[in-house]
Amino acid sequence: MSFVDQFWQLTVTGLLVGAIYAVIALGYTLVYGVLQLINFAHSEVFMLGAFGGLFAVRALLPSGNINALLSVLLVLAGLAFGAASGGLAAFALERTAYRPLRRRGAPRLAYLISAIGASLFASNLAGKEFGRDSVNLPKDLFTYNTEVFSVFGARVSSQDLVVFLVALAMLLILDRVVSGTQLGRGIRAVAQDADTASLMGVNVERVIVRTFVIGGLLAGAGGFLYAMKFNASFTMGFIPGVKAFTAAVLGGIGNVRGAVLGGLVLGLVENYGQFFLGADYTDVVAFMVLVLILLVRPSGLLGERLGRAA
Amino acid sequence: MTTAVSARLSSPLARRLGGCLFLALVTAVVTGPDGSNVHPLDGVKNSLLNTRVFGFLVFGLLLFAVTSLSGRTKPIGLTQVRTRLSQAVGQRGTRPTGYLLLLAIAVLVPLQLSPAAQGSLFLDVGIYALLALGLNVVVGYAGLLDLGYIAFYAIGAYTTAYFTSSVINGKVVYPLPVHSPLLLNPFFVFPIAVLIASVAGIILGGPTLRLRGDYLAIVTLGFGEIVQILARNSDPLTNGSRGAFGVPPLSLHIGGFSYTWGQDALPYYYLLLGIVVVVMIAFSRLERSRIGRALAAIREDEVAAEASGVQTLRYKLLAFAIGASTSGFAGVLYATRQFFNPETFSLQASILVLTIVIFGGMGNIFGAVLGAVVLQGLAYILRDPIPLIGFKVPDADRFVYFGAVIMIMMVFRPQGLVPSRRRKREITMSEQGMGSADSLGSGEVSA
Amino acid sequence: MQLRRSVPLVAVLVAGSLALTACGSSNNSSSSGGKKTIKIGFQGPLSGDNAQLGINGEFGVKTAIEEANKKGDLPFTLQLVTSDDIGKPEQGATAAQRLIDDSGVVAVVGPMFSGATKAAEPAFTKAGLLSVSPSATNPQLTSLGFTTFFRVIPPDDAQGQEAANYLTKVVKAKTVFSLDDKSEYGTGLSSVIEKQVKANGSTVIHDGIPPTKDYTAEADKVIAAKPDALFYSGYYAEFGLLVRALKSKGFTGTIMSGDGSNDDKFIAAAGASNAEGVLLTCPCGDANVDPNAKDFLASYKATNGGAKPGTYSPEAYDATNAIISVLKSLGNDATNRQKVADAFKTVNFKGITKTIAFTPTGEVTAKIVFVYKVVGGTRTVLGTTVDLVK
Repeated sequence: MSFVDQFWQLTVTGLLVGAIYAVIALGYTLVYGVLQLINFAHSEVFMLGAFGGLFAVRALLPSGNINALLSVLLVLAGLAFGAASGGLAAFALERTAYRPLRRRGAPRLAYLISAIGASLFASNLAGKEFGRDSVNLPKDLFTYNTEVFSVFGARVSSQDLVVFLVALAMLLILDRVVSGTQLGRGIRAVAQDADTASLMGVNVERVIVRTFVIGGLLAGAGGFLYAMKFNASFTMGFIPGVKAFTAAVLGGIGNVRGAVLGGLVLGLVENYGQFFLGADYTDVVAFMVLVLILLVRPSGLLGERLGRAA
Repeated sequence: MTTAVSARLSSPLARRLGGCLFLALVTAVVTGPDGSNVHPLDGVKNSLLNTRVFGFLVFGLLLFAVTSLSGRTKPIGLTQVRTRLSQAVGQRGTRPTGYLLLLAIAVLVPLQLSPAAQGSLFLDVGIYALLALGLNVVVGYAGLLDLGYIAFYAIGAYTTAYFTSSVINGKVVYPLPVHSPLLLNPFFVFPIAVLIASVAGIILGGPTLRLRGDYLAIVTLGFGEIVQILARNSDPLTNGSRGAFGVPPLSLHIGGFSYTWGQDALPYYYLLLGIVVVVMIAFSRLERSRIGRALAAIREDEVAAEASGVQTLRYKLLAFAIGASTSGFAGVLYATRQFFNPETFSLQASILVLTIVIFGGMGNIFGAVLGAVVLQGLAYILRDPIPLIGFKVPDADRFVYFGAVIMIMMVFRPQGLVPSRRRKREITMSEQGMGSADSLGSGEVSA
Repeated sequence: MQLRRSVPLVAVLVAGSLALTACGSSNNSSSSGGKKTIKIGFQGPLSGDNAQLGINGEFGVKTAIEEANKKGDLPFTLQLVTSDDIGKPEQGATAAQRLIDDSGVVAVVGPMFSGATKAAEPAFTKAGLLSVSPSATNPQLTSLGFTTFFRVIPPDDAQGQEAANYLTKVVKAKTVFSLDDKSEYGTGLSSVIEKQVKANGSTVIHDGIPPTKDYTAEADKVIAAKPDALFYSGYYAEFGLLVRALKSKGFTGTIMSGDGSNDDKFIAAAGASNAEGVLLTCPCGDANVDPNAKDFLASYKATNGGAKPGTYSPEAYDATNAIISVLKSLGNDATNRQKVADAFKTVNFKGITKTIAFTPTGEVTAKIVFVYKVVGGTRTVLGTTVDLVK
């Protein structure tokens, strides 16, 4: 078993995980772009989206067999409900843990702690309401063992393909939203200079709320993808949250394309690292690479301003 | 900017009513019955579609009435008490009576507590107060966000395990698979651990302290994770997840006099209290020294500090090393309670120390200690029924309440329990729209 | 909400919510008809990430206590006192001390996790308070001089040896991939298995992976190593994900895991079709499938609002019943901690998982290991290793 034999398999797996990191990382990066804050509770938005999507699909799931069309519809429904739950959670989060502090001109670290409090509250409340065991779909939406295609010998299941394609689609849509729409212009304007944007007639408060909600929609849908592939539990947010935050920093925090690149690079690095050093040291490799990259490029792979991203 | 936004935000009565009722319903759900993953919405349904919800709604209306009736009048009495409190502990003027009173409380109150509470007072409150004091130098004085602080605590603990052994059941037990050829009394490990931890701090800080704000946060977070992963996986060195068992308790042998800190927590607590007091005195002197002023300059405006001749990197390294050595020192104390394993040195623990520092009042040594007392005390007290009303928070829900308290506290008092004078000024200035409340990183919070 | 007038608001909030919750929960702390009350403590992770395992244990203890009180043949009324250690060593000593401080507590079921046990037992030993763990399986625990420590579950080495014998002698695996979750439990179990597999002349490949959701890369690695069998030392949630990943990558070898995974939730997590044919070992008879435990199953559900027994529930139930049998035999001396701890050394009680009797170091003598197989989406008992491995 040499690295060359395994290379494509590791690459495929790395890109898949990386795409999910990227989807979550966007929420961190957008909020950072407009507020220069690490939204520590973003991981719980992801978790709530996962539960929302999973429970919705479970309620809609017919008892008989599922054909291809039905499974596509179910995935779409799960994505929609997951995104809705995530968006709602992000909205509530902004209202309760961020806005009151903004009105008081609180120091930046107070936001961090308020978000940590919100994160503890949300994840443990989810444990209380949804049980403390992990939950997954009662049956697979896609039959396993079906290799859709193989890349240079790497096995790719249909579900993996769906997860990757959906994540990719979301990333593309977001990129268009940020670079091409009026809302996107507002976000970029606030990111570059909130005071000036406000003078130019941008409703800064509204932009902030919408930025949170967009991040929440993405994280919620990402949560559903993650739960479909793995499972959902009340503590599920923390580790992907830390990884996605790392990915955002790696790519240049505040930079949309940077977050995507950061997510994919992190996913790949972790998988290659795991091959050489074993699963124990996956995170060690990931963080070592992060430190090295930051030492060479102190503001991440693609630099950090959201305004420059588009 | 700030004024423009707040004018637009002035909320009508209806919105406040909505907020109060929403809060009431959230409280109803939090205190209501559990749900399950089979029926995920049952918990919420049973909490809200039940007669008890009317009680909560009445409470919400009451809340609305009180907040509306109190109008714009400020709660003067409480504000005064608050100011006086923060004066008593936060101001420079020496107030020996105030300090002596606090010390007397710290000495006498534990005598009235149960042994379990005394244990918690040492392990949860005292150790974390010491950790918070060290992190306060890094975060509060120098303005560096360190999310891997607990790694130095781990280094202190493992250093202790390496240099010691104990006798259990007549057999010599080494806490780790490897041990130093020269075994020491844990007291002699203190200087070694402090040295190793501060060297580790400098090795980590050297290349990374050039990074600013949040980049530093993520790199230190990575360092913390790496140390924990290494501790968990290097079985031949650290015994892996089985942890280190058999670190001897602290003991003192001077001439004919000999004393061992045994299993009881109280002697440990008093020793730690002494250490905390010494550290507090040392750090308050540090804050007022040339170093402290240089750190404050770096925190408020790094570029300006650099321009006026402050060697910023050197001072930042110094702050980092001071924080790390305090953490390493605390690690030795923790290890001498016989057993530890890598789970203790998690990212969550780093986050808890940071929360204590900010919650207490960043930059204020009394804040750091008070934060530890209040937060860790809360975590302990929530295990028992709440006095007067007898409601016991279910164990599994404790962190729901804990999180809510942190959030509410930050919303109503973002500067922490007892903010430092300097920071208070920074915040007031920011409220008036003059610059940012914080110079961590580059930008201000825009809005 | 206008947040400026913070102080009265907070006051009302706190007072109001406290008052309301007081109305909301009227705990039934009724008196006991003239009988003396004796308390049994429970220590385990009741909050945090591993709360579910703690709740499993607590409910088992509760079931036994309620049964005994209902029967009414005890000269005293039993009461449960819980103490949460979050499953962490740094909370273990404090949680233990809380039970020790309550002078009414004469015996403790727990601690549940090995790390918390190591931190807690010195205090129990010093106080002379009996503690019976339903689940701490680290082999080291009975050799550290804890004089009042007992466990009703065999340590990992017993289970590991039997599992290794089954894999090499019944499954006839020539190469065994041993994977653990890097936890205290997982590494303890995997090291015993690896030793025994080697002793039986087969090859071992070792790897460890801390709990994660993504086992895709690990599955690639396992398949590339081409083992005949894989043994996972870890818990059911991760094992379910691992099996999913292995099957989706087309792994065809035998898959086996230990007691940490022996739970119906594993099948749910893996998906029934993926779990088909997976083997599990456990020193326990599982209450949900064991015909001997039918009464327990009904009683557990009745006591705990319809919840099903989970991992370690039956062990906690047996440990409690063993303690109750000792208390009963002691009669008026049942309030004396030291006498309870001494009398427990010679207990001989037939529980639903095994006969509870102990070696002088506190190990349970019955080292029965069952082998389970997933057939048609449910776990079925193949038998004990004594019968299966000839």
